[in-house]
Amino acid sequence: MSAHFDITNLSVSYGNQHVLRDLNWHTQAGQHIVLAGKSGSGKTTLAKAIAGLIPYQGSIRTHSSDRTADSDTTTVHYVPNWYQFTNLEGERNFYYQQRYNRHQGQDTVTVKRDLVDFTNRETLHFGDLEQRITSFGMTHLMGSQLIELSSGEHKKLQLVKSLSRRPDLLIVDQPYTGLDRESRATLHAWFNELAAEGVQLLLISNDSELPACINTYVEIKHGQVHLVPRVQDIQLDATRRRKPIPEFLKASPADSFDTIAKLQDIHVRYGEKVVLDQVNWVIKPGEKWLLQGPNGSGKSTLLSLINGDHPQSYGLQVELFDCPRGSGESIWDIKEKIGMISPEMLWYFDQTATVWHTVASGFYDSIGWFTDVKFEEKKKIDELLAFFDLEIEKNKLLHTLPLGKQRLAMLARSIIKNPPLLVLDEPCQGLDAIQTQYFNDVVDELCAFGKTLIYVGHYESRLPNCIEKRLTLKNGRVVTIENRVENVEI
Amino acid sequence: MANYFNTLPLREQLNQLGIAEFMASSEFADGVGALKGKKIVIVGCGAQGLNQGLNLRDSGLDVSYALRKEAIEQKRDSWKNATDNNFTVGTYDELIPTADLVINLTPDKQHTAVIGAVMPLMKEGATLSYSHGFNIVEEGMVIRPDLTVIMVAPKCPGSEVRAEFLRGFGVPTLIAVHPENDPQGKGWAEAKAYCVGTGGHRAGVLKSSFVAEVKSDLMGEQTILCGLLQTGSILSFDKMLEKGIDAGYASKLVQYGVEVITEALKHGGVSGMMDRLSNPAKVKAYEVSEELKDIMRPLFQKHQDDIMSGEFSKTMMEDWANGDANLLKWRAETGETAFEKTPAGDVQISEQEYFDNYLLMVAFVRAGVELAFETMVEAGIKPESAYYESLHETPLIANTIARKKLFEMNRVISDTAEYGCYLFDQACKPLLADFMKTVDTDLVGKNFNEGKDGTVDNIKLVQINEVLREHPVEIVGKRLRQAMTAMKAIKTI
Repeated sequence: MSAHFDITNLSVSYGNQHVLRDLNWHTQAGQHIVLAGKSGSGKTTLAKAIAGLIPYQGSIRTHSSDRTADSDTTTVHYVPNWYQFTNLEGERNFYYQQRYNRHQGQDTVTVKRDLVDFTNRETLHFGDLEQRITSFGMTHLMGSQLIELSSGEHKKLQLVKSLSRRPDLLIVDQPYTGLDRESRATLHAWFNELAAEGVQLLLISNDSELPACINTYVEIKHGQVHLVPRVQDIQLDATRRRKPIPEFLKASPADSFDTIAKLQDIHVRYGEKVVLDQVNWVIKPGEKWLLQGPNGSGKSTLLSLINGDHPQSYGLQVELFDCPRGSGESIWDIKEKIGMISPEMLWYFDQTATVWHTVASGFYDSIGWFTDVKFEEKKKIDELLAFFDLEIEKNKLLHTLPLGKQRLAMLARSIIKNPPLLVLDEPCQGLDAIQTQYFNDVVDELCAFGKTLIYVGHYESRLPNCIEKRLTLKNGRVVTIENRVENVEI
Repeated sequence: MANYFNTLPLREQLNQLGIAEFMASSEFADGVGALKGKKIVIVGCGAQGLNQGLNLRDSGLDVSYALRKEAIEQKRDSWKNATDNNFTVGTYDELIPTADLVINLTPDKQHTAVIGAVMPLMKEGATLSYSHGFNIVEEGMVIRPDLTVIMVAPKCPGSEVRAEFLRGFGVPTLIAVHPENDPQGKGWAEAKAYCVGTGGHRAGVLKSSFVAEVKSDLMGEQTILCGLLQTGSILSFDKMLEKGIDAGYASKLVQYGVEVITEALKHGGVSGMMDRLSNPAKVKAYEVSEELKDIMRPLFQKHQDDIMSGEFSKTMMEDWANGDANLLKWRAETGETAFEKTPAGDVQISEQEYFDNYLLMVAFVRAGVELAFETMVEAGIKPESAYYESLHETPLIANTIARKKLFEMNRVISDTAEYGCYLFDQACKPLLADFMKTVDTDLVGKNFNEGKDGTVDNIKLVQINEVLREHPVEIVGKRLRQAMTAMKAIKTI
């Protein structure tokens, strides 16, 4: 079995904005493709058109060698970059940080139930999926509810399900988002196996680290596709012209604290499942921390204790900004001192928020914008939008922008109030190398004025230079606390 | 215990019914100040109890849970909810005597027993809070005179109360102080502080009274909210089957249609909902709903009269005493209807199709919302209270139907609402029998616009639009909705 597809005169536009125009692309059996391009170049649009998920003009035909050459019988499967599960009542109305709030009645199914239902619906073998779960090191999660999984674990579950379907053409949008190093290697091997079995692969990724089976590199530019000889030849976003950082962000933190956070002997568990165990961590003002660990090691849960989002933090020895938890402070008192970004926060962000509203909401730490801001604050928003080159997009809905721009808007939101502590949980997910470099340079510059930083990132090569300490978690326990991460290779 | 409302002179009845004032945000400038450092003990840890407690604690207040001994010993869900979130849990004896504020968030039916157990343990001068006034107003529970009695009632399910708080917003909330129990004059200050602690002050707060809350809440839930949605859904489904529409399609249209239709109601009121129809369809829906209003008005009036006289609560409490014989019988009957037993078909229905092919439900909703609102206002309830208990809550109830149909709706709503819903449904169906004979698939099941050229009479359309937009529920609704700017869309599909 092997498959390929032919695209003739494909055009897609949203309103009067043309994303793809008269695009022609003919692939051959045996080609396994990575599709790359700048933010907003139309990668996801093209993928969805091929999968027949959006309306388009022109013709797209997929062929399978051992079936009649007819797109009706060829199967195409598109895997989006984020998967939203539903609860038992079919609702998707989950909210940011809901997974830390425990409520008996409000259940989602377990991982095992979800997989069993999926295999029955798709007439697959449960054993195949079970094996992949084992390879991803997720066996211990079979009894966990979907809502308890971390974002990386959700990504893995989505991949396990999608890859088991074996369509003729498999399109995966950002397959490596949020995966730890070990999981990346496993996923490489799976892609190679599928390719060997004749599944045509089309991966959308700006990563340079790709599975061996990928033999075709395609760049999308100005609504057209271009074949390039090597992955390195793909043009990424141009290095941005550096602008001077707004003056108001150069002010040192107004309040001084003895410690930013002091966590002692932290235990967090859900029923029998231990998420954090005997964790001790002291963060002093001005320190720049890297927090690392495999998917599901407890990183986001640990951060939720610091960000005031975890209900269990009340019974624990958590001291934030010199104030013990549960001593009369509200979560808003805590949040006003923290600029926070996480993949989950972006996924659950208000769908009706424009870029301007998103940045403005940073003054009130709300997920969406509800209160008018003062004149001085408006000036700061404008300055920051200019600094991040987001002025033209300021009235567009956040979620309609390319991911790279969404991340920049979220960074702007997190620093707008010039907080003493920045918590950046995988801020560069989905960004290419040059965007990441730019983002991290900005973080370095911001942190030069006395800010404290906690940064979560899986890749050694993609970290801000200012990082000086590292805490590594595994299975909810602290493995190491080190005083300087080895040299950053770029 | 005597019905409290009926012990009042008419002057005082009208006075308490007429308390409804939309509060300015400046009234909440004190934040949670009045409860800071006080000990708050919540009785009951279901959806409202848990989520309100999480919010209050996250607002910097001291919260713990008092549960019955059996609930703790048997590690029931309420015990798990509280302990899984690291709350202190104890028995009534252990915690109630320490409390400055006791918040009763148990189901209505348990109130007499719960208050009977809690009140003797409360310390001198403490405060007792309710989220519904039935126990005080209808059952006539008399509270120790040294205690302050307040009400804080978020007008949303518990999960929403939490979700909205965490994103920095809140849900619309109604607050009240019982005039018989405010010996220290601290009632309003504490009710406001409690409201701020749940985030309610950001989404619009209505100053009400125990009496106004109970009389409007009962009326809304048994007529438009639950009763009419149940009657309309079942009649619509049966009509489609009678006319040969595919059962799976009919089931899906009815299950999800009411949610899609009332989502438009939530954001734009009755006229916003009607505006989703084509011009000819709007004219038709208007005419049908006018007819429905004429037919059903006496029934709405009867329900309001029985609520005001106490007849309704008396009958229902007799059923409580009789082991819920009627309630359980009617509940079982709802589970046996054809609609309940036909699963939603695996068909795609677009958002607009829910309006175009379900014009009958649009007409039912308009008729029901306006009738409930008009009847309440005629009975002395203020438009603000009437709006909350009719239009505002309709989408919330519709959402429970979308989740798991009518049986689920009746399971989720309070027993009081469920009992009233069945009473209404049983009286309404015969009332509509002749009308339903005139209904064909253009009103339910098929696209009303099909085969029509879209022509309407200009003058007629202008007149209809005017009637819709100038209805008092639209006038008051526009003002109240401005405070709820950031309402989130509810989407099941």
